[in-house]
Amino acid sequence: MKHVVETTEVAGQSPNWLLTRLDDLVNWARANSLWPMPFGTACCAIEFMATAASRFDFARFGMERQAFSPRQADVLICAGRLPFKLAPVIRRVYDQMPQPKWVISMGACASTGGIFDNYAMVQGIDTIVPVDVYVPGCPPRPEGLLYGVLLLHKKIKGETVLDPELRREQPLDDRGLRLPPEQIDEISEPFGNSVHQFRSA
Amino acid sequence: MNPSVDALRATFGNAIGRALVARDGETIVTIGRDALLDVMRWLRDTAGHSYDYLVDVTAVEYRDGERPIELVYFLRSLEQRADLRVKVELPKEQELVVDSVVGLWAGADWLEREVYDMFGVTFRGHPDLRRILMWETYAEGYPLRKDFPLRGRFSRAEQVRQALGANPEAHYSMEELSIAEAFEELPEDMRERLRRGERGKIPFSE
Ligand code: SF4
Repeated sequence: MKHVVETTEVAGQSPNWLLTRLDDLVNWARANSLWPMPFGTACCAIEFMATAASRFDFARFGMERQAFSPRQADVLICAGRLPFKLAPVIRRVYDQMPQPKWVISMGACASTGGIFDNYAMVQGIDTIVPVDVYVPGCPPRPEGLLYGVLLLHKKIKGETVLDPELRREQPLDDRGLRLPPEQIDEISEPFGNSVHQFRSA
Repeated sequence: MNPSVDALRATFGNAIGRALVARDGETIVTIGRDALLDVMRWLRDTAGHSYDYLVDVTAVEYRDGERPIELVYFLRSLEQRADLRVKVELPKEQELVVDSVVGLWAGADWLEREVYDMFGVTFRGHPDLRRILMWETYAEGYPLRKDFPLRGRFSRAEQVRQALGANPEAHYSMEELSIAEAFEELPEDMRERLRRGERGKIPFSE
């Protein structure tokens, strides 16, 4: 027997034509006018500045204006290592940014703690704010950061305006954490060479 | 050997301990902890010595657990173009307390706070002895001590929780912000916080 697919059924399963056009338009606009909030804390910020300056010039990708106010920013770029003392600061900056918002973690330190597997350093900013794109490197070259930005464009172009997650704030839970403690411990585990680093009396 | 050492011995006698010349040619002199303020004042004020510049204050703890913690004062005389390193030994069995030299060199303020923060040495008479590098609610101890584990004492999750619970605005005292005069114009909640001397709060810590 021939299986007939009703048009109403198809419409129920896939986003309708109008909506995809609208998504295309909105995402095109969003992706090409990302205003970055630079959160430069260490050496990676030097490469970030190089990316912003004339030779690499991320204004070519719509990041013409750096928003030094979180209220006017779309993407938080954490460029450099994050000490625990700055953790509440980056969290507050993130909370103050309007939805939709994205985060790029630039460099080994911001992504994993890098070589600083010690008492003072956050082991990856994803224990504190959600991260969309990780850019590896120590520091990443400007091309690397630009590639990360292009990946973020790609991600944004796959979003749909109807997705409620885009507008959902993700506050800290009642323990004052973003992730369950076991998960934080697990992603903060030493790896690579730092497994052998040890110091005590 | 820096001539100030002989002059110190002549003036203070037994309070002056070993003296030696380091590899870089600088003289190191060890003094008793009780004589610290007198010796320092003498070094600063005596003509012909006048160590008017305190370059740094730091501390050393040795791997050998028996050895005392050493406080190191780097002095420079701009007039004599001379350098002198003064050391004070603090045995670990006793309380780590020493007189503050902020009254002699105002620049010692933050240097002593750093030694306090990292080594837990208390400076008697310091006007504002608070942590300076770590945040004020930091509860894990003194990171540069040899018995401090490299990754800290708490689990990573606990460290993140405590860090996120700190109030990022509470690192400043009224004096540092020089807002004492503007106090009345501040928003009510900020005034209240300053009045209580609040330094951040850790949720569910009690
Ligand atoms: S990843 Fe490398 S360049 Fe970037 S902040 Fe860390 S140490 Fe510096």
